[in-house]
Amino acid sequence: MLKEPIRPDDELHSKTSFGADIDDAPELKSEIMTLNVGPQHPSTHGVLRVVVDLSGEQILRLTPHIGYLHTGFEKTMENRTYTQDITYTPRMDYLHSFAHDLAYALCVERLVGAEVPIRAQTIRVMLNELSRVASHLVFLGTGLLDFGALTPFFYAFREREAVLDLFEWVSGQRFHHNYVRIGGLKEDLPAEFLSEMKKFLAVMPDRIDEYEKLFRESPIFYERAKGVAVIPAEDAINLSLTGGSLRASGVNYDVRKAYPYSGYETYSFDVPVLHGGDVYDRMVIRILEMRESVKIIRQAVERLEDIGPGPVRDPNPQVSLPPRALLETSMEAVIYHFKLVTEGFHPALGEVYVPTESARGELGYYIVSDGGSMPYRVKVRAPSFVNLQSLSYACKGVQMADMVVVIASLDPVMGDVDR
Amino acid sequence: MQRLQQVLEQAKNHGWPVEQAYGNTWVTLPRTLFKAQMETWKTQGFNYLADIVGLDYLEYPQKKPERFCVVYELVSMPGYKSGDGSRFFVRVFVPESNPVVPTLTDLWLGADFLEREVYDMFGIKFEGHPDLRKILTPEDLEGFPLRKDFPIGETPTLFKEGRFIDPDSFRAGLTGHESGMTGWRGGSRKGYQDVFEEIQKVAKEGGN
Repeated sequence: MLKEPIRPDDELHSKTSFGADIDDAPELKSEIMTLNVGPQHPSTHGVLRVVVDLSGEQILRLTPHIGYLHTGFEKTMENRTYTQDITYTPRMDYLHSFAHDLAYALCVERLVGAEVPIRAQTIRVMLNELSRVASHLVFLGTGLLDFGALTPFFYAFREREAVLDLFEWVSGQRFHHNYVRIGGLKEDLPAEFLSEMKKFLAVMPDRIDEYEKLFRESPIFYERAKGVAVIPAEDAINLSLTGGSLRASGVNYDVRKAYPYSGYETYSFDVPVLHGGDVYDRMVIRILEMRESVKIIRQAVERLEDIGPGPVRDPNPQVSLPPRALLETSMEAVIYHFKLVTEGFHPALGEVYVPTESARGELGYYIVSDGGSMPYRVKVRAPSFVNLQSLSYACKGVQMADMVVVIASLDPVMGDVDR
Repeated sequence: MQRLQQVLEQAKNHGWPVEQAYGNTWVTLPRTLFKAQMETWKTQGFNYLADIVGLDYLEYPQKKPERFCVVYELVSMPGYKSGDGSRFFVRVFVPESNPVVPTLTDLWLGADFLEREVYDMFGIKFEGHPDLRKILTPEDLEGFPLRKDFPIGETPTLFKEGRFIDPDSFRAGLTGHESGMTGWRGGSRKGYQDVFEEIQKVAKEGGN
């Protein structure tokens, strides 16, 4: 049995949080002060509550408290059919929600053996990267807001608005797209969509340059962010940190390159890697990643023009709905339609996990099927949840004023943390 | 994927069960050897603990050795030193009577939150974890929500004269294990072969 009893849940600090040595603290200290930040605090990017021990301005120890947004998605998804579960996936990470749709669909598709048509795959890649750009724009806007820079916020949200308009046009929703289906997509792109995408692509590279100029060359930003909250590569891996924050520490790990899915291996793009591991590099790497995303979107648009019109769903009627027009002429098509909508499909027994790369890091669904039409167990490997462990490590010994910046640079989305 | 081959050989030599399905690999370890073997694998280059998954096989149709199971995902981090991207799952079965597994927090710092989540959701205790507390659910919630015998708290739909639809039995038919309200469902649907082909033909031509 356990050697020590379970500790009470309302204790302020975790024994696993990292502490700076008190002797290292500056001379100007009177007493150690414990300060509570959040859960309702504008700089914690949602409902994150942080308890810090301060010696003067220096953080001695920091413990994040999470769970304020916990809604039990995993339990709910066990009691809905595989298709109904797509309603829940985008609501976890509401900034890069397309990645969650895609990660879930890829998992179930592997379970039922669905084949996604090439056109649907290309559209998925295009929209996934578009959603990543939108997510990084929010990261930059709100992140720089935490530095005290108000202007980039408005610029970043201007472009994000354009991206959200594109998504609204495609799927009818700005945030929770619900555009992916098991075996393909809900429907094809609207006509004229690609030409609008090209207009967006024509302006976006210049805009990215503009954002980069706004902060990367600013001496104030450099002084504030360089060398703050360094996470060395060895420790970053040990902390299971992934995504841009890991690549800013010098580890070239991108799931799109390491374990390609949806045909990412056929696109030519680079994985930006920086070696500082500090707040500066974690901010800058998102700018570089946006450039690569735009590259991928451009290739996808070109490919879609080459591919031309075609099916966007697996034609297997046991997995995806039959074509709409057929419902008027074929009774059996109506039966298939009815069975799929009321009951869903029944994958074989088994467990499956497919890693994908979201804007925040490695994202994957671990799905257990018991042969029924509802998953037996869904576990989300949420990147924000795992990455948040690094906050305590990164914050030890930094100034209190830098804490909000460190939180911003790790890019947690609380919906993704708490699920 | 050289390291994965090594792991498979080790499993073969020791007689540990190996499953391979859907492109993933699972190795089942006995609970007594688990900690030492994870330590060995860490020194052999599996430096990244990607995930810890808790599972409750209470209602699973296949017979499993124990009710609970903890699945660890080990990766040799590609893009760092000699990492080759090998990725596999380690499965440890945990009996209901004594749900305790040794902790991995001393090997991987990243195991901290992941183990706390499994404890919070399934009540599986991690022996030696320095701070085993709830992490996501409220402090005053009793029970472990992701266990299969934890109710989901739906309200029955009421009709006149006390008639009601009980959500559990309404949904029972969907799982394919019980008959439910509308009779047996599930299994492969046979027949309609010509229609099946017709639908496929139309769908391939681009109908939506």
